Amino acid sequence: MPIYFNEREIVLPGQLLSDDSRRAGEGTYVTNGKVFASTVGIATIRDGKVEVIMLKGPYRPMAGDMVIGIVSDIKPIGVEVELGSYVTALLKVKNAKELLSLNLKIGDVIYARVASSGLKGVLLELNEQFKKITEGVLLTITPTKVPRLIGKKGSMINMIKKITGCSIMVGTNGFVIVNGPSPTSEFAAASAIRLIERETHSQGLTDKVMAYVSRLVGGEVAYDTNDKT
Amino acid sequence: MTQTTKPKLIDENGRRLDGRGPTDLRSLKIEVGILEKSDGSAYVELGKTKVYAAVYGPKEAHPKHLAIPDRAILNCRYHMTSFSTDERKILGMTRREVELSKVIREALESVVFLEEFPRSAIDVFVEVVQADGGTRTAGLTAASLALADAGIPMRELIAAVAVGKVDGTIILDPSDIEDKYGEADMPVGMTPSSNTIVLLQLNGKMTKDEFKQGLELAQAGIQKIYQAQREAIRRKYGASTTEV
Amino acid sequence: MSFLPLKERSFTIKIMSERVYKLLQQGKRIDERSPYEFRKITIQTNVVEKANGSALVSMGSTRILTGIKVELGTPYGDRPNEGVFSVNAELLPLASKSFEPGPPDERGIELARVVDRCIREGKAIDLEKLCIVPGRTVYVLYIDIYVLDYDGNYFDPSVISAMAALATCTLPNYSLVNEKVERVEGEYIKVPIRDVPLSLTIGIIKDKLLVDPCLAEENSLDTSIVICMDSASNVVAVQKNSPGHIPFLLMESIINIAEEQISKIRAQFKEVVGVG
Repeated sequence: MPIYFNEREIVLPGQLLSDDSRRAGEGTYVTNGKVFASTVGIATIRDGKVEVIMLKGPYRPMAGDMVIGIVSDIKPIGVEVELGSYVTALLKVKNAKELLSLNLKIGDVIYARVASSGLKGVLLELNEQFKKITEGVLLTITPTKVPRLIGKKGSMINMIKKITGCSIMVGTNGFVIVNGPSPTSEFAAASAIRLIERETHSQGLTDKVMAYVSRLVGGEVAYDTNDKT
Repeated sequence: MTQTTKPKLIDENGRRLDGRGPTDLRSLKIEVGILEKSDGSAYVELGKTKVYAAVYGPKEAHPKHLAIPDRAILNCRYHMTSFSTDERKILGMTRREVELSKVIREALESVVFLEEFPRSAIDVFVEVVQADGGTRTAGLTAASLALADAGIPMRELIAAVAVGKVDGTIILDPSDIEDKYGEADMPVGMTPSSNTIVLLQLNGKMTKDEFKQGLELAQAGIQKIYQAQREAIRRKYGASTTEV
Repeated sequence: MSFLPLKERSFTIKIMSERVYKLLQQGKRIDERSPYEFRKITIQTNVVEKANGSALVSMGSTRILTGIKVELGTPYGDRPNEGVFSVNAELLPLASKSFEPGPPDERGIELARVVDRCIREGKAIDLEKLCIVPGRTVYVLYIDIYVLDYDGNYFDPSVISAMAALATCTLPNYSLVNEKVERVEGEYIKVPIRDVPLSLTIGIIKDKLLVDPCLAEENSLDTSIVICMDSASNVVAVQKNSPGHIPFLLMESIINIAEEQISKIRAQFKEVVGVG
């Protein structure tokens, strides 16, 4: 079963990866029994499958995703929500009363779970996880980099939260809300997020981010002390 | 600056006006991801020909009735700035620009997995900043990179180059003056690995043998352009994995 | 009639506009600039060899390309001794998802006209020196501006790029031989620059001002105004370029901030282009 790439090589669309069509994983396609890359990305073997990890790409909504969206229209059947994707999502309501109780206006930011995504469009769920976001800075990152921003069991994002004191919400669609006690703490968190986006696949990223954020926030502590004295 | 009499395009030593041999490409510079606000972008410079391409999407198709239920629509606009040519180009789209938009779009449609984004639209914009021959092929080369940069799944990249016939010789990558005074100009766009033709036009006259020779020369040139495309992508994204 | 372009009917994100204002109250901005600080400017000239003059200018991520083409033409009837210039601007769809392909809409035309006024009223060009035969033959300069990448405020970098392209523009030399205008082969002259008018865009939110808004800020502004000044700090063109109110009492600060920041832009312009 020959493999035609080096582990973690950057591959291009159309690049031959394997002769074994059974090994075709995400980011690949099969023609004449051979596996080719369909996107620019990092080629790797995971669970025996040849995969291309996308470096950049559009958000594809999937049921179960927790997303952050912007209310773009209010209709009798529900609220239309921009997710930065190629389809606008719909937060369905049962009746006019429920719609009114949501108290949503165009331009509001919400956090919700994707109930379903398919030919009928993308539906959002009005469950206990649903939230209207009332404060913070909205950042966007490439959706493909969300898992790295969160880290293993939330390690990366929790570290940034802890050091900066900011609350951070991450939508699977790449929308991120940062809300902190001071501009400096928010800038530090935002810079850290941008650093992760830039250097997603470099090794020792967690340590790098930790040093970076600590330095940015350190400045603030010194500043605050001076301010009070 | 415009010349009115046909200059000698190939000298007795087989050199062209700019010193190239018949099968030489002009100096090539490719950059990926240079326009911040687009979803994907690329810049291609081939000699004095300078072209930007940007991709927006997939996004919701507007107006909605234009959306196709089982795949994305691909829109393409090839456009030249007014100062890109020797004579100032009129503002707005010329018939030539409309035609080239169509052939570039059709070339791109043949490699993009449009069925992955039903009811959506992908917009591709090619902007020629300076035209010195081979703008549609440079534009197509840039556009396919911009699509790849946007993370849109594709069968393969497209690399493209023109070939021409001047003073009876088949040449690679004609410049504007060679195109103007030559006997034929043939832009070719191909998928460099699977070896298929996705754009082909001919303006001029060639014998059957010359036509075949021209295609082979284009194919060789396309391999060189493809190498430069690969390098450009690796320059852009390579840094992120060097430490892994 | 003036229609709001379809794509611009998009909403502003509420929490963002609130945050932009809240930061401004603390003297801070979303991209960590101070309120009166403009973004990093880069200027490259002669980027398009086929144009008589050209400049690629970026202000932060906003990027503008201007090219100038020169032709011979006839002067206006009421100004027989002066050369002619015209400014055109296109917001390329390449630059932003809010720009549509097609002929320039009202925003593009507004941009072109503001740059035109800035150059004309700022007396940037000695137009009399662009006259070859009075009443008959003059140089005609076509100054064409293209927005390549749009992250807010296309006015200021457009003025800079138009002026940089003009200041580095060369014209083929012509002379009058036996009543006929003839090209002096191989000879070029420079566009006679008299002054370098420059602009500054100032955004207004309630009682606060900010300079050179980025896109995230632009969407949160109450309104904004473009001030153009010549090298002696005369106000040579003004455009309130979006709906909304400017408190009358803020106008004095607006002019003072414009003077101060334009002089900083001018210093950078002079360093790169050589005049200013």
